[in-house]
Amino acid sequence: MAKQILSSTINGEAVEVLVQPYETLLDALRENLGLTGPKEGCGTGDCGACTVHLDGKPVASCLMLAVQARRRSVTTIEGLSDNGVLHPLQDAFVRHGVPQCGFCIPGVLMAAAALLAEHPKPSEEEIRYGIAGNLCRCTGYTKMITAITEAAQAAAAPRSA
Amino acid sequence: MRRFEVALPEDLDECLRFLADRGPESKLLAGGTDLLPQMKNGVTTPKHVIDLTGVARVHLLESEAKAGLRIGSAVPARQVELDARVRNGYAAIADAAALIGSVQVRNLASVGGNLCNAAPSADMAPPLLALEAQAAIAGPKGERRVPLSDFFAGVRKTVLGPDELLVEIVTPPPGPRSGGSYIRHTPRRELDIAVVGVASQVTLSNGVCAKARIALAAVAPTPIRATAAEAALEGKALTPELIDRAAELAVQSARPISDQRGSADFRRHLVRVLTRRTLTAALARAGA
Amino acid sequence: MSTMKTTRDVKGVGLSIPRPDGPEKVTGRVPYVADIKPRGMLHAKLLRSPHAHARIVRIDTSRAKALPGVRAVITAKDIPQLKKKAPTRAHAVLAIDRVVFVGQPVAAVAADELAIAEEALDLITVEYQILPSAVDPLASMQPGAPPVAEAGTEADTSEALAHSAVALAKSDTGPAKAVNVSQQARVERGDVAKGFAESDLVIEYTYRVPMVHQGYLEPHAVLAEWDTNGLLTLWASTQGSFNTRSEVADVLEIPENTIKVIPVECGGGFGGKIRALCEPITAVLARVTKRPVRYVMTRREELEAGMPAPQVIIRLKTGVKKDGTLMALEADTILDSGSFSGTVLAVSAVFLGSMYKWPNFDIRGSEVLTHKPSVAAYRAPGAPQTIFAIESQMEQIARALKLDPVAFRQRHLISEGDPMVNNQPWQSNGATEVLKRIAEHPMWKSRAEWVKGNGGHGANGVKRRGVGMAIGGWLGGLQPTGATVRLNPDGSVSVLTGQVDIAGTNIALAQIAASAYGIDVDKVRITTGDTDTAPVTGLSAGSKTVYTVGAAVLEAAQDARRQTLEIAAAEMEASVHDLEIENGKVVVRGVPDRSITLAQIGKKGNLYMSKVQPVLGVSRPAFSKQAPGFAAQLARVEVDTETGEVTLRDFVVVQDVGRAINPLAVEGQMQGGSVQSLGMALTEGLQFDPDTGRLMNPSLLDYRKLTAADLPNIETIIVEVPSPAGPFGARGVGEPPIVPAPAAIANAIQDATGVRITELPVSPERIALGVLAQK
Repeated sequence: MAKQILSSTINGEAVEVLVQPYETLLDALRENLGLTGPKEGCGTGDCGACTVHLDGKPVASCLMLAVQARRRSVTTIEGLSDNGVLHPLQDAFVRHGVPQCGFCIPGVLMAAAALLAEHPKPSEEEIRYGIAGNLCRCTGYTKMITAITEAAQAAAAPRSA
Repeated sequence: MRRFEVALPEDLDECLRFLADRGPESKLLAGGTDLLPQMKNGVTTPKHVIDLTGVARVHLLESEAKAGLRIGSAVPARQVELDARVRNGYAAIADAAALIGSVQVRNLASVGGNLCNAAPSADMAPPLLALEAQAAIAGPKGERRVPLSDFFAGVRKTVLGPDELLVEIVTPPPGPRSGGSYIRHTPRRELDIAVVGVASQVTLSNGVCAKARIALAAVAPTPIRATAAEAALEGKALTPELIDRAAELAVQSARPISDQRGSADFRRHLVRVLTRRTLTAALARAGA
Repeated sequence: MSTMKTTRDVKGVGLSIPRPDGPEKVTGRVPYVADIKPRGMLHAKLLRSPHAHARIVRIDTSRAKALPGVRAVITAKDIPQLKKKAPTRAHAVLAIDRVVFVGQPVAAVAADELAIAEEALDLITVEYQILPSAVDPLASMQPGAPPVAEAGTEADTSEALAHSAVALAKSDTGPAKAVNVSQQARVERGDVAKGFAESDLVIEYTYRVPMVHQGYLEPHAVLAEWDTNGLLTLWASTQGSFNTRSEVADVLEIPENTIKVIPVECGGGFGGKIRALCEPITAVLARVTKRPVRYVMTRREELEAGMPAPQVIIRLKTGVKKDGTLMALEADTILDSGSFSGTVLAVSAVFLGSMYKWPNFDIRGSEVLTHKPSVAAYRAPGAPQTIFAIESQMEQIARALKLDPVAFRQRHLISEGDPMVNNQPWQSNGATEVLKRIAEHPMWKSRAEWVKGNGGHGANGVKRRGVGMAIGGWLGGLQPTGATVRLNPDGSVSVLTGQVDIAGTNIALAQIAASAYGIDVDKVRITTGDTDTAPVTGLSAGSKTVYTVGAAVLEAAQDARRQTLEIAAAEMEASVHDLEIENGKVVVRGVPDRSITLAQIGKKGNLYMSKVQPVLGVSRPAFSKQAPGFAAQLARVEVDTETGEVTLRDFVVVQDVGRAINPLAVEGQMQGGSVQSLGMALTEGLQFDPDTGRLMNPSLLDYRKLTAADLPNIETIIVEVPSPAGPFGARGVGEPPIVPAPAAIANAIQDATGVRITELPVSPERIALGVLAQK
């Protein structure tokens, strides 16, 4: 069984990495590229902990083969902050005390970031449906909604240069 | 998952050649949302997986006035859900596409995959059946068309041969004054699977129902049409009483089992309720 | 946007400070066990039994061993320490000659890749002789049922003692009758027959709650490595590193101090990661292969072969007078423990008979073994199921007598000093205050209008509205612990505990240390040590972390403060009674220019040839006084009476936390516990096939946990009735919020539809068919 060379853009960088044909994208990111931010909570697309962006869209990376990401662009939680500067969503999550065990958080943030890219001013219902693919057992979701709402407002507000 | 090889065809012909060689030991991969969980559970252990990512033909989504809606088999549900042409002209299909899994699943899950997996609860089947869609299948001898109502052969079985591939789903335009709706019942609002799903499509003419199509999911080994209910509606004005009557007839078409998702009694009850609701919604959309 | 910061400039107790590990978590940088990959690591997989009860005739591992990339394949034969009569589930590392649940491990593989390990499992052949099985608890209780335990295996009451710290008197427990009844208990008071005879209203219902999974997002995971001296290191996702160490030592028969358990960040536990499960087998594979070995359970394995909460069946009969006077209560509780004993029998008795002042009661409890995965704790073990019963029953009594449901409860609710079922007096608690706050809530007061308004659906609409409430709580666990507090040479403070920080308790502990010592919480750092470096400590469970470890940290911080002041007094030739600590300095009260900085004191304790001792506060307390915590919840629902779908419009949780050390963290616990409770109420349940014992819903598609789209905002109201012994009056917070929701929801559904559902989950099917049955 021959390994394949996967050529992709990962978190903004052109990357070439050897992957097994039977490796999922999630496995390749975690084991071959050391990007352990996306997590495996179920392996079957039912929990959202593995959420990454594929060409800007949120996908369950446990359901993709690594080779399917060839010539495409993947963003993980590690690519959400910008050179050490937290994304407004990350900042809001910290200040509102959102993360408890933390396991679901990378997936939730990636889903929320994709939501805000599509709906810059989401209603509470849109936010809830936007992260409905992400199970969380610790928080009950309430503080996530508050944080995402605030981050959306902050992003919409005019910023100084 | 156990180990396997991948094939990465760059066009349909290359894909068909691979299928001709290794069809029986291969599985086709589009979104992977059914295939990968099945492989992880050991339900299926193919030696080869054929990735359709590079085959442009199966990723097209087109709408033409005469030919109708053409959905490439690997087009993700999310794309169908958001497409204005589908929402405006084939609303029941958009309804169903919006319900699959979660947004992370819908960005991968393909309409074709949903049909080829052929679960009794396949959400894309009822609206496509109600709109009388056809499956365009490619094989070693060329392409053939199969009405979707003949596509399902049993639980998780279709009429596709091991050397064949579903290329696209073609849905004829329903015409003016036509409306459709798909509603399913699930215990949760997302990440769930239909306990019962019903699609209704009605076309009005001179104040009466010229054509009615009703399709049911998760109440038989395959998605089915409720033909007796359809017949009761055609040529008549769609009053609430007639809609109730059609709902009763739809219950009689259903042959549900009891399983961990729901009892047969509850499923029959849901067929009645959802048939009534989708007919009412379809009628409203037809009038609009 | 802001750059990553730790805690800001604040003082201590009572402030809503975000957890300091927030930035690490939102950037995905915190490592969990599955993220750790040392060089040469192998992947483990377990072969599991497909049968609920069978004899193992023969196992052939030769083909698996021959697969390239496979480094070890082992069976029970390779582990001589395994006992035929495994006293606990942890001891049943690999089945010896009999399997007692579908999913029980029979063989283990370590391989270079996970895919190769999976293929190796396919190559192991096991010949089974299938035996009759007892899957349903009621069937399993009958004399002559197929036996589950090896004859002579003792009932395991360790879980009960660890969690509830409730002891029933020795005479309360009796010998088992049928072979699978592993524990029995009975508590009585007065004369129930007479009580029923004098009642005007006697009602009897049977309440059923299925097994549920704790639902943590991170599956069990462990990494094991032995060094060349025979010392074992375990990186574990665990709620108690010392407990893990003890269990592994016990199972493998090696000394505890040859094992180091490093508690890696735990992605949720809720009671399911207390008992050892994967650690022993992974350690054995690592020893056999002489390589690091990592085992991560799949979600399917978690659901099929984890350690869920028990199935509970409660037959509850109550008698009251028509004016609402309580007369008698009789109950039979059955707890299905799966294949090994370990339920908390006493908790059920306490909450059935001790929430309200029943003058006569007779409560019997039985634990029964079945051929299913054995149970472990799940956040307030036994309490949600029990409160579901008693709070549903109280509601029905109130409705039948046309009494206000809250006023009826208030009239009979226990207070401090009232006797519990075991005749111990109730400790101080906030149950009355919590109930009062729910009664005063606008959503409770306006419920009649809200229901009548019916959201515009009209009086005869398909959608109906209902409002329901319930109250429940947790007694609060106790466990000895230890902590140290050090003053560093730069004037900062370091706190060391062994406490796994699951619930964000570390920030609360830092706040306690800060307030007790007299320094900004900014200058306090908490370290969670491993089992080599930390003082022995208990489980992060039982809602006891802040209550016990917080008390330990408080005491150690006070000890450090005393030492600091004594050193300062000697240096400044002042009396300790005249000294204060403020702004990083020890000052003489009223004489600001006479001072010495904490840094100076810290340095003096560290200088070469110095005669000044380093400041090291130490505490090692044990506890005897529980601090019960109560929560009341209110639910406003809209029910589609045709499909049975429930829309939860509003949900409120009122909870007495004694003293909110960190209100932000406390709210998070209240909301998270509430949603777990709602899951149990609305959608969750492990469904086992009664004939084969196989789990019918082994995926998160069919084991349904609630999503954000299923829920409203969870409104939280914090009540503070200080506990006498908790640090700054704090009580345990984690468990009370998971208790009342099933009853609150069932009560709301009855309010909306008239249908009373006594079996969880309150599913759309049960509601829709219940509505149909009424017609």
